[in-house]
Amino acid sequence: MRIGTVKENYGADAALFDTRVQRGWLVVLAVALVLLPFVSGQYVSYLACLVLINVASTTGLNILTGFTGLVSLGQAAFMGVGAYIVALLEMKVGTPFILNLLLAGLGAALVGMVVGLPSLRVKGLYLAIATIAASVILHFVFANWTEVTGGVSGLTMPPATLFGMELNQPGEVYWIIMPVTVLLLFGAANLFRTRIGRAFIAIRDRDISAEVLGIDLLRYKLLSFAISSFYAGVAGGLWAYFFRVITPESFPLMMSIFFLAAVIVGGMGSILGGILGAIFMTMVPEVLKMLVGVVTPFWPEAVAVLSPVRIMVFGGLIIFFLIFEPEGLAEIWRKIRRFFHLWPFKT
Amino acid sequence: MSILKMTRRTAAALLAVGLMGGAVQAQEKKDIVLGGSIPLTGVFAFAGVGVHAGITDATEIINSNGGIEGHKLVYVPEDTGYKVDQSVAVYNKITSQHDVNLYYGDSTAFAKTISPEVERSGKMIMAGASFASELDDPEKYSKIFIPGPTYTEMIGILLKYIAEEKPGAKVGLVHSDTEFGRDPVETAQVQAKELGLNMDLVISTAPGGVDVSTEVLKIRRARPDYVIFHGYVLAPIPEFITQARSMGLDTKFMGTFWSMDNSMVMKMGEVAEGFMGVNPYNYYYSDVENAPMLEKIRSMRDTYQSNAYMQGFFSTMMMAEATRNAIKAGKEINGANIKEGLQAIQDFDTGGIVGIPVSVKGNSVPVGRVYRADVKQQKMVPASDWIRLD
Repeated sequence: MRIGTVKENYGADAALFDTRVQRGWLVVLAVALVLLPFVSGQYVSYLACLVLINVASTTGLNILTGFTGLVSLGQAAFMGVGAYIVALLEMKVGTPFILNLLLAGLGAALVGMVVGLPSLRVKGLYLAIATIAASVILHFVFANWTEVTGGVSGLTMPPATLFGMELNQPGEVYWIIMPVTVLLLFGAANLFRTRIGRAFIAIRDRDISAEVLGIDLLRYKLLSFAISSFYAGVAGGLWAYFFRVITPESFPLMMSIFFLAAVIVGGMGSILGGILGAIFMTMVPEVLKMLVGVVTPFWPEAVAVLSPVRIMVFGGLIIFFLIFEPEGLAEIWRKIRRFFHLWPFKT
Repeated sequence: MSILKMTRRTAAALLAVGLMGGAVQAQEKKDIVLGGSIPLTGVFAFAGVGVHAGITDATEIINSNGGIEGHKLVYVPEDTGYKVDQSVAVYNKITSQHDVNLYYGDSTAFAKTISPEVERSGKMIMAGASFASELDDPEKYSKIFIPGPTYTEMIGILLKYIAEEKPGAKVGLVHSDTEFGRDPVETAQVQAKELGLNMDLVISTAPGGVDVSTEVLKIRRARPDYVIFHGYVLAPIPEFITQARSMGLDTKFMGTFWSMDNSMVMKMGEVAEGFMGVNPYNYYYSDVENAPMLEKIRSMRDTYQSNAYMQGFFSTMMMAEATRNAIKAGKEINGANIKEGLQAIQDFDTGGIVGIPVSVKGNSVPVGRVYRADVKQQKMVPASDWIRLD
């Protein structure tokens, strides 16, 4: 049983990981992340990369929606901006992937700021519609600016290279995706220990009060859009290195809804929530597929019959979790931790 | 009598030994795995379910006839929801669990995405639901196979039919503003010009758009003899035809493969009467002579099977035949040799799936037939003979 954590100074109070146990688990996680491509096959590496890309993008959206309270359905389109920038830089300029990813993030951030302008006048569903409109415009640009984007056929780019080695396989691209995502996560976690992050939270809780407190709404709302889109742009860049074919149809509106669902299911306004939400939304369909796979040897038609059922179960699970714990998976995780901390006493 | 008994016993023993020997031999021969990223859910599920059934039945028939030169064909499908990331995940999963030589992919985007990996692995060839013209490039996509004509070739078949039926005709092209819809637009205009047809009218519609009144007005102004729709499954084709008919236009309307399924066309109701289009395969109910495969399909499934079923069935037949050619040539079963075996397919009798013997040209099989909707019969009926593009 743990009855509390003693904080002796301000630094300890603001620490991201405040107990030895947490730091211990963090080391275990880091070792697992490093070892993963060596001990897993191509399929697991592929899923790991996909989860990490989704974690990066969901965290970006969480900064905007979960922490600043601004709903956006443009995340996929911002990812598209990043993906096209990376593809063009890789194909036409040949700059290193790190620079490409950074420029992809900055490019998407600029676009995000422009798209964020309506947030100064509208909120909630109205803002969501404005971001959908922006996403439609961006898709139009992707599909019709043929000289640059390759039109509807899109772009096919070469793989990223590291020390002259081509990173073709999921287990190889992982070495770009994993560190970048971890960096983005640490960046997001630290953001909310700064004035900027706290300003975002103040705006989310009550924007008029935040303005009264001296927070410049124009600056911080646009900054939130810029940071969120930066994350989306980098995630889009990682996506481009991962799939290497970018078309206007690669980033549909459904993808934005996927990220918003991940934020809500995981827990809005929680970094851990974004991570858990992205893992849930990416992995649960895969796990359900595996269950269908278990039945297939005994019932060959299972794949055809159970696939639609699988989708319904996935939808049902989302609804179940939202009813069971509206605060999201992060809150379920906190409750589990509290249970073990206080055991044998009730939480 | 005893001699006869002896002979029977001996024959039975010999047969048993032979069967056991055959079984041992069959056991020795490795399975040939056909992996599949199949869209059993999502927007393309209407086709994916049919494709899955077609591949399943073709696999069963091939195996009941001794497999591919004694190798059992094993079909390993998984649902993709028609999403590229899911399709790639399925590909990675299946290829990491099985030694895959044949693969069926669910979309153009997937084919383009996975093509470098298929190339790198060197183990397999890949067919799929895509008829994208871009994939008909044996140099760039050397392991890809298109189980029928490309979209450009489908339009070519329709234009060839039009040029014969009404030389110098005015033809309009209405396409959706998607990769699928835009695919044949540029080449179609060139083909039309070469055939002496006029294709000045090209209309693009927004994906999912339902209000087509502006577009129909454009058709009324141009008064084309024919209008070809491409990039749609059903909507907004019925709306176009209804509005055009109410304006008194006698234009003939046509479609390409994915809008040619009999059950889909008949859903249009009376409006469907006279609707035409290209289909590279016979229909499930086609009454043709010397069609043992069609008969076999009808004996296995007594209800109507879609064009997607035929597409899956045909893909499997062709990939199996390609593998058979590679084995017969004494070559190792790998991507390059199977592709060589595929390109060696000349005048292959599909048992009635396609009405004429087929040959592979480039990455595709450029044959097709123009069909016309007969609402009274509730059937698509042939409007032309089989057309082969050179």
